[in-house]
Amino acid sequence: MQYSSQAVAKPYFIAAIGLFVGQILFGLILGLQYVLGDFLFPEIPFNVARMVHTNLLIVWLLFGFMGAAYYLVPEESERELESPGLAIAMFWIFLVAGALTILGYLLVPYAGLAQLTGNDLLPTMGREFLEQPTITKLGIVVVALSFLYNIGMTVLKGRKTVVSLVLLIGLTGLAVFFLFSFYNPDNLVLDKFFWWWVVHLWVEGVWELILGSILAFVLIKTTGVDREVIEKWLYIIIAMTLITGIIGTGHHYYWIGTPEYWQWWGSVFSAMEPIPFFMMTVFAFNMVNKRRREHPNKAAVLWALGTATMAFLGAGVWGFLHTLAPVNYYTHGSQITAAHGHMAFYGAYVMIVLTMISYAMPMLRGRTAANSNKSQVLEMWSFWLMTIAIVFITLFLTAAGILQVFLQRMGENPLPFMVVQEKVALFYWLREIAGLVFLIGLLTYVASFFVGNDEPEAKTAG
Amino acid sequence: MQPSDEGRAVPGAAIAVVAEILYLANLLIAPGFAFALLLLLFLHRRRDVPPLARSHLEQTLSASLWAGLLLILVASLILVLGGMHGAHTWVILILYFTLCHSTLVVFGAYGLAKAMAGQCWRYPLVGRPLARGCREIRWQ
Repeated sequence: MQYSSQAVAKPYFIAAIGLFVGQILFGLILGLQYVLGDFLFPEIPFNVARMVHTNLLIVWLLFGFMGAAYYLVPEESERELESPGLAIAMFWIFLVAGALTILGYLLVPYAGLAQLTGNDLLPTMGREFLEQPTITKLGIVVVALSFLYNIGMTVLKGRKTVVSLVLLIGLTGLAVFFLFSFYNPDNLVLDKFFWWWVVHLWVEGVWELILGSILAFVLIKTTGVDREVIEKWLYIIIAMTLITGIIGTGHHYYWIGTPEYWQWWGSVFSAMEPIPFFMMTVFAFNMVNKRRREHPNKAAVLWALGTATMAFLGAGVWGFLHTLAPVNYYTHGSQITAAHGHMAFYGAYVMIVLTMISYAMPMLRGRTAANSNKSQVLEMWSFWLMTIAIVFITLFLTAAGILQVFLQRMGENPLPFMVVQEKVALFYWLREIAGLVFLIGLLTYVASFFVGNDEPEAKTAG
Repeated sequence: MQPSDEGRAVPGAAIAVVAEILYLANLLIAPGFAFALLLLLFLHRRRDVPPLARSHLEQTLSASLWAGLLLILVASLILVLGGMHGAHTWVILILYFTLCHSTLVVFGAYGLAKAMAGQCWRYPLVGRPLARGCREIRWQ
């Protein structure tokens, strides 16, 4: 570790992993509720479990991004972090606010939570993924602004690199687009229209910039390829991301009451959204093929290559599968969307955070560059367990989705929703089994931090 | 020539890259047409190109032929045997096609990355044994 202030990344990474475990546990509860409708009812109703599952995902990824930025930026800027104390203070504020929010979801009925937190004063609650009480959202804004100040000042006062600037643009976009969560018009069309400015422009816009910059950073460090080469790739990838992703928002506007031209704009531009992900795959493998050194942290390189591949499959291929308006007319909101969501989030964002943790954590824990071989082997096992499990989760959900569309939305005698749910139950059971394998993979990942600590650090082969 | 970094190419790298791009184009944007170009390139250049280019030409042609078999013939067979109106036909067909097609595209992405790095690469399952002289090519 080159700068002592990089150490503030460690609690962020630990919190991220802890919340990740929570997210997966609630995912398993949800999976069971699909087939055993009254499982844990009334203690944890389906809507609450779903809210906790998705909100925990968002929060732990944000912890991961922040930790990644706190580790990456001092090294790129060649100076200490502007204010390590502020970073630690914001960590605790964010963690406590997040924990209280989750406890609120679990312990108080949602309508009561809205009343308790004064939602009437500035109504922002009740929308998918943005269910947080208004006061929590205000807390997120405070944390995001403090974080941006800390990172921004470090970048501006230090060496400016393409990696740190792209990261800063991505993080600024993340904060700016979150502000649309406070805009909650009565008109449902307008509400949905701008709701996507948070949700879509995060995951198919500015988050991709964060992903690209973290991937570029890890590849520079692990391959030794010239920074200029990697930066050129990064420029092209983020350009394609923004060109396709911004107008690609239109693929959410097909059926919400917006003008019909969005069916063309949305279809054409979102059909091109796999391009930056494809380029990322070629980029990552090309850099590793051209590497000038063998980095001893094999696990981090594996995560980086896995990110590039799985992001292309999950976000690119599975997104394309249902993005064209004539196809989406039938598939909209079916289990095909869930399949895409699971693989895209895992491939693009879960894996990039785990890539960064894998790269940085050994140094944060006092190693020179990498964990012991024993620890890395276990980590690589967890990589394969989680990745194979998510592939099967995606395939089972896709199968359920195709059957759902066929039985419920096509043909002369479409079946009712709940009748179809019973007919696709087999796939839900299979998904649950795959989910259990994912949990085993995640526990293996956690175990990798506690194994082989007394053994010597892995050395470069050859 | 001893390649060590950007700007210095392994002999045959350009043709290798073109072969991989045509393979991907056949799968993604110009099916049939891109394959015809790849076939022409293979027939005209395979004897007078360095091992790297020959290897990529052979790999991509073999993989393209397999792709045709897997994506057209097998998919048609699923449709014919299952019937157009069977729900399970579509479950199997769409899953099979998506999985098969995306796997072949990912292979192509890896192949393109290898070609750009001036390295040979054998496509898993659908590739041919590497051309003679290929194994000696390495980035330093």
